Amino acid sequence: MADEKQVLQRSDAEPQLDYEYSIERPQAAGKTLKRLWQTTAYAHGRLVLILCSVLIYTALMIAAPWYSAGIVNLLWDTIKASQSVGAAFQVTWRQGGEEIAFLALLYFGAWLFYTFQSYMMLTFAEGLNLRLRTALSEKLNRLPLCYFDGQRTGAVLSRFTNDLDKVSEALQNGILRLFTSTGLLIGSVVMMFQFHAGLALVFIAFALLAVVVTRLFSRVTLERASTRQQKLSLVTGLIEEAYSGQVLIKAFTQETRSAAKVHAATEELAWATEKADFAINAIDPAIRLINRLGQVVIALFASYLLIGGSLTVGAFQAFFQYVNQASEPLTEASYVINSMQSALASAERVYALLDEPEMSADPAVPVALTQAKGKVVFDHVRFGYADAAGPDLMADIDFAVAPGQKIAIVGATGAGKTTLINLLMRFYDVKSGHIYLDDVDTASLTRHDLRENFGMVLQDTWLFEGTIAENIAYGKPAATRAEIIAAAKAARVDFFVRTMPKGYDTIVENDNENISTGQRQLLTIARVVLRNPPVLILDEATSSVDTRTEMEINHAMRDLMAGRTAFIIAHRLSTIVDADKILVMDHGAIIEQGTHRELLQKGGAYAALYNSQFAPV
Amino acid sequence: MRTLIPFLKPYKGLILLILVITIVDVGGTLYIPTLVADMINIGVYSGNLALVLQKGALMFAVALVAAAAALLACYFCVRLSALLGRDLRNALYDHSLTFSTSDFERIGTGSMITRTLSDVSVVQQAFIWSLQMILPVPAMCALGVIMSFAINRTMGLVMIGVTVIVLGGAIIITHKASFIYEKMQGFLDRINLVLRENVTGIRVIRAFNKEQYEEKRLRKTFEDYALSAIKANSLFFGLESLAIFVMNACIVSILWLGSNQVGLGRMAIGDITAVTEYALLILFYIIMAQMVVIVLPRSRVCLRRIHEVLQQAPEISDAVTTVPVLAGTETVCRFDNVSFCFPDAEAATLSDLTFALRRGTTTAIIGSTGSGKSTIAKLILRFHDVTGGAIAVDGVDVRRLSQEKLRQHIAYVPQKAWLFSGTIAANLRYGNEDATPADLWHALDVAQAGFVRDLPGGLDAPVAQGGTNFSGGQKQRLAIARALLKKADLYIFDDSFSALDFKTDAALRHALAKEVAGSAVLIIAQRVSTIAQAEQILVLDDGKMAGLGRHEDLVASCPVYSHIVSSQTKGGGLHG
Repeated sequence: MADEKQVLQRSDAEPQLDYEYSIERPQAAGKTLKRLWQTTAYAHGRLVLILCSVLIYTALMIAAPWYSAGIVNLLWDTIKASQSVGAAFQVTWRQGGEEIAFLALLYFGAWLFYTFQSYMMLTFAEGLNLRLRTALSEKLNRLPLCYFDGQRTGAVLSRFTNDLDKVSEALQNGILRLFTSTGLLIGSVVMMFQFHAGLALVFIAFALLAVVVTRLFSRVTLERASTRQQKLSLVTGLIEEAYSGQVLIKAFTQETRSAAKVHAATEELAWATEKADFAINAIDPAIRLINRLGQVVIALFASYLLIGGSLTVGAFQAFFQYVNQASEPLTEASYVINSMQSALASAERVYALLDEPEMSADPAVPVALTQAKGKVVFDHVRFGYADAAGPDLMADIDFAVAPGQKIAIVGATGAGKTTLINLLMRFYDVKSGHIYLDDVDTASLTRHDLRENFGMVLQDTWLFEGTIAENIAYGKPAATRAEIIAAAKAARVDFFVRTMPKGYDTIVENDNENISTGQRQLLTIARVVLRNPPVLILDEATSSVDTRTEMEINHAMRDLMAGRTAFIIAHRLSTIVDADKILVMDHGAIIEQGTHRELLQKGGAYAALYNSQFAPV
Repeated sequence: MRTLIPFLKPYKGLILLILVITIVDVGGTLYIPTLVADMINIGVYSGNLALVLQKGALMFAVALVAAAAALLACYFCVRLSALLGRDLRNALYDHSLTFSTSDFERIGTGSMITRTLSDVSVVQQAFIWSLQMILPVPAMCALGVIMSFAINRTMGLVMIGVTVIVLGGAIIITHKASFIYEKMQGFLDRINLVLRENVTGIRVIRAFNKEQYEEKRLRKTFEDYALSAIKANSLFFGLESLAIFVMNACIVSILWLGSNQVGLGRMAIGDITAVTEYALLILFYIIMAQMVVIVLPRSRVCLRRIHEVLQQAPEISDAVTTVPVLAGTETVCRFDNVSFCFPDAEAATLSDLTFALRRGTTTAIIGSTGSGKSTIAKLILRFHDVTGGAIAVDGVDVRRLSQEKLRQHIAYVPQKAWLFSGTIAANLRYGNEDATPADLWHALDVAQAGFVRDLPGGLDAPVAQGGTNFSGGQKQRLAIARALLKKADLYIFDDSFSALDFKTDAALRHALAKEVAGSAVLIIAQRVSTIAQAEQILVLDDGKMAGLGRHEDLVASCPVYSHIVSSQTKGGGLHG
């Protein structure tokens, strides 16, 4: 089961293929833009500067061809004049050189502003990205645990990575391109009309045709891309299950059949890919063809005008420069707009996460309590999710634990055992009632101080990428190797660790399947043993461990638990028969409490549960 | 790149075709401004409208030919990429089938999936981009320079200068940037890893009061990433900036030098437009190629990961000459001083095991988590090879048998009851392709899987991937039925009864006994009740044999075993 889970977790983080066509639209573009503007308050001066630069750059780029038209005409007239007298013409400072130098200055200015704004935008975008990312990570620690209960890990991750990268990309390229392209398009068309309205209209006609074709293409592209996505999912499913069940395929000597199945699926995927990629990539040559056909008509028309004398050589050349300057933004328009939209949608999701309700604040003047004796009292505790309709998940939990007692909590899945622990650790806040640790209301402690008193082992074992030794020492980074090994021995995991390729220095990787769930549990137990907390909480800590090892761990734990309060959730009742108090839970309420003997005699729910686990040997 | 060469070999013709068509496309692209220049020249010099029309018609034809070439090149290129992706995935999958369990674990299931799916997609995309954006660059540079020379020598020299400066800059910057981009990809992976740990481990982090520590860890990954992102993008903008500067300088110098040439009568006035356009095209193509080059490091990483899989020689492969299995010996399988140790491990997983599995008898293995029980099954099936001693099946060392032959004689129910998506019948027929519905029902009944009768569709009821639409106990029983359909000399049940309740467990074992009477049976279990009736019980403790015998003897003579028994009977019983 653990392996399956790992595989699934893995695939939900599968990076979305960059080139996948999915057009997202923001819910409230205006609001998000305003919010972005507010977030970047620290850089407004810079943004205004960038905007000014963009305006000047665009103006210079529009002016240059116009000015060069004049130069060409001037030169051509001078050349014709000198050729008519049979003299060779050479450019000198007086003869055209001055003008060419000024044109060079125009271009140089445009280049300067372009470089300036690109660089300013780049550092701004990456800076904003870092700020938002840090804000998100701080937010993570202020979110109540119930937020994570309802979220897929992959979804949370993509807020940090995909979404922020999209925003940053849009800021670096998209916005600048959007502004300069719009400016160049409008400016170029205006200048075209200055030269010749008829020619300008020809350009507009072909430009509109290009826009229409782009639209048609994008519809086909979306369709084909989704077919490909379907085929890809088929192959993904097939490959996932074949890899997960590889042992079976080999044990039943099904290699040939399985390969044939995979080959058939990849063949279909190849077809779908070919079609989708063609649609995606053929748009460029198609648009280029339209642009060129436009140029043919314009060239013919312009030549006619040139021969008739109503268009100068310089104007002819300049007109073509404007055509090129205006075509480029049009080809890119749909791409830029799509990427801006999906960036806004991403920003929206990032803000939504930042706006999630947070945990209640720690008390302003907290009580200090670091080495609790371990008296725990639940005083008429109720709990329910704030926004959930229906009855509370915990109704009137009321019990007391003396220091050093061993408390077992039993009940069916969903009875509320883990919720009880979550309340004790203040992962959730109670709705009403109080929880006391050493007679101090836990709400009057900081969460940090409260948790300092607990050591917890969960059923869901969590290890991070680092050595086994580092993982065991997570709660006590200063621990010596000898302490770590002692803890591992107490958790009965020392032998296993030594069978690993590098012993205690073996790196735990998420992909590593050499560590089974049971062994992971033992490692997390070692972690708590090393931390040596006043109160122990074991939540199904040995559910994936065999009975003998479990018993040995219990023996080791008994030493650890001596004189300490311990909460134990277990579904194997054999491990908790010696508890000082057993709480039997059902539907968020304690339905029975007492010792093993008392509860058996009572013949209630506990006795029934206990007898169902009895097996004749 | 070297990884791709064998995969491209079958498509040499297609690649050549793409090359030729690309040159046609580039030629057409450059010819269009040439024709525009011609039209200007005709307009100003001769004013011959008929000639202009002729050029216009030619331009129209060139535009069409170039577009056709571009579309064809695009088509062949996506086709090549699609075929390449298919071939890579097939090769990866086929190669994975030769992997032993250790081979597979070395890479990890999740990573294997990523490599076969998204890594290949990334490579495909990079391949398309390379063909479309990088391939035309040399043609564009060469043809651009040649056509400039055709117009005028001075213009040709200017063009060479422009090309060399920008191409040189592009190569230097790419070289620098590719390191940074590769590092950046590493930082991004790191962000993902640490974030994932933070989200999945939120409870533990809070329980251990490590929020500040984790925040610092995250911040560090963010900063590393941001710094290298700024560096990499600055480099890219540097190149773009250089290209634009050169472009501007080029327009101005063509105007100046070109006018001189026109003044000398060596060039026509319209040609200035043509040469300027050539320069712009060359620069544009180089910049576009640069954008692709920047994403290549990522695909190089993916390609390397694919290469790793393809390169990994299977740890276990069939001997050159194999012995056909001689069925029918009394001892189906025998362990002689078998040891097994993972490479580099300090301690052996199994040491010095000697025992035999005999026809008509049941052998059970019991021991702690991690004591090496499942490894024994995997050794028999040759998913691992022993590191000491030998395992013989029907008297022949398993290493001298072909893996296929060996496995044909064994029916196996793995610890993880995995089912494949499809129908129940299809899953069961894994064990025996020719099984009739009656056979299937019989196997299901023996495996106590009568619940299939109540399913809509019965044998044709759908099974989700991994069998997730069935409970653990149901999956186990289906997996047992699947194994029973296979007529084998040895049946291995690896912890296959753990999710069954005690009554079903007992009934199943009772029915099973008749079914497999003529074969050897190996049961790996954690529950004493499951194995108490076995003819021999092997007790494992830290990979060593702690006892071998019947239940009654072991209770008396083997402390480890009696310990296990008492751990399960303390206070009356236990639930598995």
